Amino acid sequence: MQLLFEEVGHAFDGLRVLEGISLSVAAGETLAILGPSGCGKSTLLAIAGGLLRPARGRVRLAGTPPAGCLNPLTYVFQDFALLPWRTVAGNVALALEATLDRRARRERVAEVLRRTGLSDFAAAYPRQLSGGMKQRVGIARALAVRPAVLLMDEPLSALDAQTRELLLEEFLTLWREARTTTLYVTHNLDEALRIADRICVLSRRPGRIRGLLEVPLPVAERTAPENAARIGELRAELWRMIAEEVRAADRELASAREPVDG
Amino acid sequence: MAEPAHRADEPVREVPFRGGGFAPRRLRHLAPPFFLLLLLLWEGASRAGLVSPLALPPPSSILTALSDLAASGDLRRHLEASLYRLVAGWILGTSAGLLLGLLIGISSLGRTLGIPLVAALFPIPKIAMLPLFILWFGIGEPSKLATIALGAFFPTVINAYAGIDNVPRSLVRMGQSFGLSHRAIVFEILLPGALPGILAGARISSSIALVLLVAAEMIGAQYGIGALVLQAGNLMRTDQLMAGVVVLSLLGLTISALIGLAERRLLAWR
Amino acid sequence: MRNPFRATVVALFLAAWPLLPVQAQKITIAALTFVSSSPLFIAQDKGYYAEEGLEVEFSFFRAAQPVAVAIASGDADFGVTAFTAGFYNLAGQGALKVIGAQSREEPGFDFSGYLVSNQAYAAGFTSPEKFPGRSLGMTQYGSSFHLMIGMLADELGFPLSEVKLVPLQSVPNMIAAVKSGQVDSIILPAHIVKALEAKGNGRIVGWVHQYTPYQLGGLFTSTRNVTERREVVEKFVRAYQRAATEYHEAFNRLDADGRRVFGEKAEALLPIIQKYTKAKPQSIYNGAPYIDPLGRLDVGSVYAQIAWFKENGLVDEKVDPAEILDLSFIEGHFNIPE
Repeated sequence: MQLLFEEVGHAFDGLRVLEGISLSVAAGETLAILGPSGCGKSTLLAIAGGLLRPARGRVRLAGTPPAGCLNPLTYVFQDFALLPWRTVAGNVALALEATLDRRARRERVAEVLRRTGLSDFAAAYPRQLSGGMKQRVGIARALAVRPAVLLMDEPLSALDAQTRELLLEEFLTLWREARTTTLYVTHNLDEALRIADRICVLSRRPGRIRGLLEVPLPVAERTAPENAARIGELRAELWRMIAEEVRAADRELASAREPVDG
Repeated sequence: MAEPAHRADEPVREVPFRGGGFAPRRLRHLAPPFFLLLLLLWEGASRAGLVSPLALPPPSSILTALSDLAASGDLRRHLEASLYRLVAGWILGTSAGLLLGLLIGISSLGRTLGIPLVAALFPIPKIAMLPLFILWFGIGEPSKLATIALGAFFPTVINAYAGIDNVPRSLVRMGQSFGLSHRAIVFEILLPGALPGILAGARISSSIALVLLVAAEMIGAQYGIGALVLQAGNLMRTDQLMAGVVVLSLLGLTISALIGLAERRLLAWR
Repeated sequence: MRNPFRATVVALFLAAWPLLPVQAQKITIAALTFVSSSPLFIAQDKGYYAEEGLEVEFSFFRAAQPVAVAIASGDADFGVTAFTAGFYNLAGQGALKVIGAQSREEPGFDFSGYLVSNQAYAAGFTSPEKFPGRSLGMTQYGSSFHLMIGMLADELGFPLSEVKLVPLQSVPNMIAAVKSGQVDSIILPAHIVKALEAKGNGRIVGWVHQYTPYQLGGLFTSTRNVTERREVVEKFVRAYQRAATEYHEAFNRLDADGRRVFGEKAEALLPIIQKYTKAKPQSIYNGAPYIDPLGRLDVGSVYAQIAWFKENGLVDEKVDPAEILDLSFIEGHFNIPE
């Protein structure tokens, strides 16, 4: 499905965080949202999924959901948001309990656990899992509802660099199979360059669209050594767009906090 | 061993150890002999005439009083009456407390009205309310249940809503993002998340219920461990009084063990 | 005498010997501020203790039990309270001796009365014979109220199990319970039941002295005083008897028709009793119990009480009335068993 942002703006207690966001995430496309801390990336994602009512503008969803879709707009969270008192299988089943009967649920859970390599951990509790495994459960839970649009909120930023690399590989494999429309919020340039078809750079607060960058290489070929130079150029271009914003935001943040509290 | 070498002309000394301590552990098998020793000392002091048997009856006469009570069937009658009051009063107070705690935890109106109400009423000594309960509910079982229920109510309210407040909001957002109903968010996310707090509250409320049992059985109770203790005190039967206290203590330990069991069962995920 | 100076000193000293101030002996009396304790107060305010060379300090309590405990523990020397199972159990441990009488349920002198709630009275509970099937509020099992209903049951020949006994811990609770009809009846002293009846809060259906006259309470001291300070106990008893006689003459008079009369003597003692009890004159007249002028005990009654308490499992079998009583300080006790 296609996700359309139309002149979306938002403010918290008079502090403007987003302004004039008009953006279209095409069906099957992975769009990365990149921006400095506090630029409203997560706010935009919350608005996209209907968890936050925007002060201005609207978000619309076009097209028909895929077969068997139970929850068109589905999140993967930075902090995993797993219920600690449920097992891996229980967490994945949570979103299916209202819609599927026991048998269908069990089949669906077993299937996604197999796809995400979690079958052996079905009976484990979250506290027994590493961060990477927890996020695999987060992914499995999202895939279980057959989403039309995946809303990913810095899904790898709570993990260490090596685990991040490992999960990124797995994501890409899963995506190639499903081709689900994805909005991927991150502050990591390399992550964005690895997975996104397009990268939308937001300015510092209030977040506006600073620029859109297309990544012309197929996802599978981006780590190939012969493309290293090309990726390097794109990275430099991205950094040009974002560096100044990051620098300004870095200086602004400390002083901007006071009026927020006052 | 080539590595540990130093210049011959330099002074050398060992690194002094300065860590350790401040980490008390439970030494196993020490507690039972310690208690046995205490009991023996107590018995000895009593037999030697150092302590008047009226002021502090020796363990042996407490045991005798206890077995006399058990043999006459009085102990069973007392226990049955007290257990009924404890269980019924506690369930009553805890369910009402959970309901209000939940309201405070999820509704703005509940929070706005509930918190000041609890803050105002919690510190009231429940024992002071007993004469009022007797006017309202009579001298029969209802006033006794009300006293125990009220004692269990407040800690439950406070622990329930504190427990709900401690459930990360991100879990609620997660539930909403997966299209869970309000009902499912309450029963699958908020209540299980608040369960550690609720069980901690149950520990407190059950102890309070036990304390209030004695107060509740002051009025119009023919049977009950609290009534037994009071009556023994009035009759200057200190051996029976201590026997009753021992039963109360065992009751407390049993309740604590049951809650511990519930915690291990229900909170295995921790 | 070669040394006139030394002789003079010796002579002076011998002459002054009887005039040297005798060191007063200090005693502590544990007391309740009830009219039944009046002789204790009269003896103090009229100086009878002082005349015996006793310096008295009062220690006031709010319940009978602590009075007995204070004597047993040695915190006080003398006390008077009503007899209860707790008292007998405590005395049975050997620390207490009953040496004389406090008040008595004596025919002609209304003291403890059976008060019936209005509801129960309307439903036919009009005399003590109707106790079976009704409830009675009392302080505790083993209290004097429990004893009174037990003796009544024996007297009238009904099983005590047919009366529903409701322990309410305190007198105010008993009053509240009978007012609201939560219990059918209570037994309390005259000044209370008369005031309740006057306000329409219940009906008096009889007096304990009409059914079961008995020795209500006693005067007691520690066993230690009896054995080690005998002369102090004797002095105290003398002062107590003087005051008891005075009280008796003032408050325990009957006219030719058997009605109680109070005269100038009572009026004269009123201020002393009021000072300690803070009670109104009418209340003192209503609630003045019969007190033997010489503090003589109805010994048979004490034996019977202990037997009744034992029968009902409230007093330890080991308690021996003969051990509790010391009848050597006062002459003429009544009903001494063989």
